[in-house]
Amino acid sequence: MSREEPGFQDDKCSICGSEIDAHGSEERLCRKCEREVTGEANPDQDESVAGPYIADTRTYDIRFTGSAGEFFRIWIVNTFLTIITLGIYAAWAKVRNRQYFYRNTLLDGHVFDYTANPVAILKGNLIVGGGAVIYAMTEVFNPLYSAMVVLVFSLFIPFLVYKSLRFMSRNSVYRNVSFGFRGSLSDSYVTYLLYPFLIPFTLGLIMPYWAYAKKKYFFGNMQFGTTENKFRGKPGSFYAKYAQVSVFTVSVLILIGVVTFAGKSAISELFTGYTGVQNGMVLLFMFMFYMALFMFVTLIQQYIYAWMTNYCFIQSSLGSLSFQSTLKGKSLMWIRVTNVAAILFSLGLLIPWAQIRRTRYILENLKVVTDGNLDEFQAASRPEEGALGEASTDFFDLEIGL
Amino acid sequence: MIRFDANYFDGKTSISRTVIFTLYGKKAEIRGVDTGFVFTVPLVDCEISPAIGNTPRLIRLPGGAMCEAVDLDAVAALEELKGEQKILRLVHFIEGRWKAALVSIAGIIIFAWFFVVFGIPAIAEKAAFAVSADILNEVSNQTLEVLENRFLKPSELDQSRIDKLRRDFEEVLADVCRDEQCRVEFRKSPVVGPNAFALPSGLIIVTDELVEASENERELIGILLHEAAHIKERHGLRGIIQNTGVFIMVSVFVGDVASITSIAASLPTLLAQAGYSREFEREADEYAVRYFHQKGWDTESYREILVRITEKMTRYPGDSLLSSHPITEERVEDILKLEEALAGG
Ligand SMILES: [Zn+2]
Repeated sequence: MSREEPGFQDDKCSICGSEIDAHGSEERLCRKCEREVTGEANPDQDESVAGPYIADTRTYDIRFTGSAGEFFRIWIVNTFLTIITLGIYAAWAKVRNRQYFYRNTLLDGHVFDYTANPVAILKGNLIVGGGAVIYAMTEVFNPLYSAMVVLVFSLFIPFLVYKSLRFMSRNSVYRNVSFGFRGSLSDSYVTYLLYPFLIPFTLGLIMPYWAYAKKKYFFGNMQFGTTENKFRGKPGSFYAKYAQVSVFTVSVLILIGVVTFAGKSAISELFTGYTGVQNGMVLLFMFMFYMALFMFVTLIQQYIYAWMTNYCFIQSSLGSLSFQSTLKGKSLMWIRVTNVAAILFSLGLLIPWAQIRRTRYILENLKVVTDGNLDEFQAASRPEEGALGEASTDFFDLEIGL
Repeated sequence: MIRFDANYFDGKTSISRTVIFTLYGKKAEIRGVDTGFVFTVPLVDCEISPAIGNTPRLIRLPGGAMCEAVDLDAVAALEELKGEQKILRLVHFIEGRWKAALVSIAGIIIFAWFFVVFGIPAIAEKAAFAVSADILNEVSNQTLEVLENRFLKPSELDQSRIDKLRRDFEEVLADVCRDEQCRVEFRKSPVVGPNAFALPSGLIIVTDELVEASENERELIGILLHEAAHIKERHGLRGIIQNTGVFIMVSVFVGDVASITSIAASLPTLLAQAGYSREFEREADEYAVRYFHQKGWDTESYREILVRITEKMTRYPGDSLLSSHPITEERVEDILKLEEALAGG
């Protein structure tokens, strides 16, 4: 047996032997021992995060059991199959990769599942592939037409986002209850076409509002079964955070600029007459400058991602459930920088390791808090959704959802 | 007999119930542990989700209910008995083996290499020759417009010299460009320097600087033949299609275009593209050398101007004679080798 069996042992903790309380006890450890093992503080009593202490509140950690070695084999075998089938198997590969992540994500001892039909995704891939070929051909023959293709495509983006969110949520299942997305197509057009269109006319001042609108479209329209997620996020918070980050960014960029200029002239002064040494030093200096810039840009990106993810989860409630998300920008930056380095030096072979690592960090910082339990959700019945949207956004890597 | 514990979800609510799943012949019995409910379903109607890694197995029952089981061996036995999903079961078996991972890596490298070296060029050749002359002219005119605006000025050579060169060049071109409409234009371009380049429509642009750098007309004819070969073989168009092909292939392999992993992918892309352009240059050189051989000229003048303009090169846009060219020394060596081979044979 390769995995601990949740749910079928007697109701005793396997460390201290104490009784485990009635629900949410699929782990073998009692909550006290589990906390000791994982080295966590008692979240129930952490009032700053969980709000006022409520006697019946339970916190469920999300566990991610994926392993880099296991996923590497799945990834490489599926990539190989995709290549030798000239891309046809890509739909199956995608479903398997995603299922690996979903089924290794445990909440209260039960896994998530991804139920997309590979044939639906294959159809989406074929349509998107056809579009890509048309684009490549116009690019070759007349860049003017390819600009038109891009324009036409941007008119489709909101539709694809809408489709893709429906498809993705519909096919995400936990405890045999599907997630769902009830956002409207018109809201998608407002969010993904109107707002970006307004950016130049508002001198970019709409950017924080746009970021807010995208999150609201996602979090405000998600549902689990028939239970709708309530999103309490406010545009004001986005404006405050973006202003703070902008001030910080500008001052650091000025600092980097000044240091670079001063450094370069200092090098020229110091090594006048030694052209070889001087050039070498300047090269080294420029390398360090770009490294610093890359680290800084990554830090800003990851900091915003961390803040936004934390904020959106904390401002969400799904029936009796609320969420805690404790991502840190610095940790995410470190993960991203080392991931990039690892992928570069391994010629791509460490891509699966990098994915597992980042996913683990993000998921293990997410907690579900409830004063009820996880048994109370009703399933909804919804119609089937085509895979076109999902495949397209995947192909063109639209930044949607989480 | 197959029997295992499972979590049961009825598909209407998120309530989790502990059940025992038992197989009796072709029927599966699901019996609640605490709740006391029991029912049977035919095994053929149960849908077992494909195994992946060491994750729990999910069995969808007729009517929308589902069992989640962690007894992987028992569910695998059940699956074996049911006998469906043969391909995905094989995939799962392969995914569990490190040897298969190594074979996959080797397979990917071999296949990618084969595709880049033979597949993409073959497809690009077919596609490039399927393009009509109208489209070639349109593309060329657009490119020319950009070049004229940014890099090219009217020629400042003596009109008499231009006329003389044009006459001699057109004689050679009439000889080699039978199906194409090759013609020559002269332009001054300090930015481009001593160079010549061909547009797909058949237009060859020779810079004043190249004419000035040449010591005799045969040198220029060598360059002219090289450019004519690019036109005849549609190298410009094939190059664009091949580079696009590599880009698409790498994007598909890496999975997404806009992420960090595309940085890792850009190096092999650049290498492949440099390889393609090198191959085209070799072909164009070969064409020039064969023409020289036919005429009974030796290639010394052609080799000399290649070396000379490499020394004088400043910058160069687009599909010019020396852009992204293999090191000139290597080209000169190849030219010599070919010349000897032609002389010997
Ligand atoms: Zn050339």
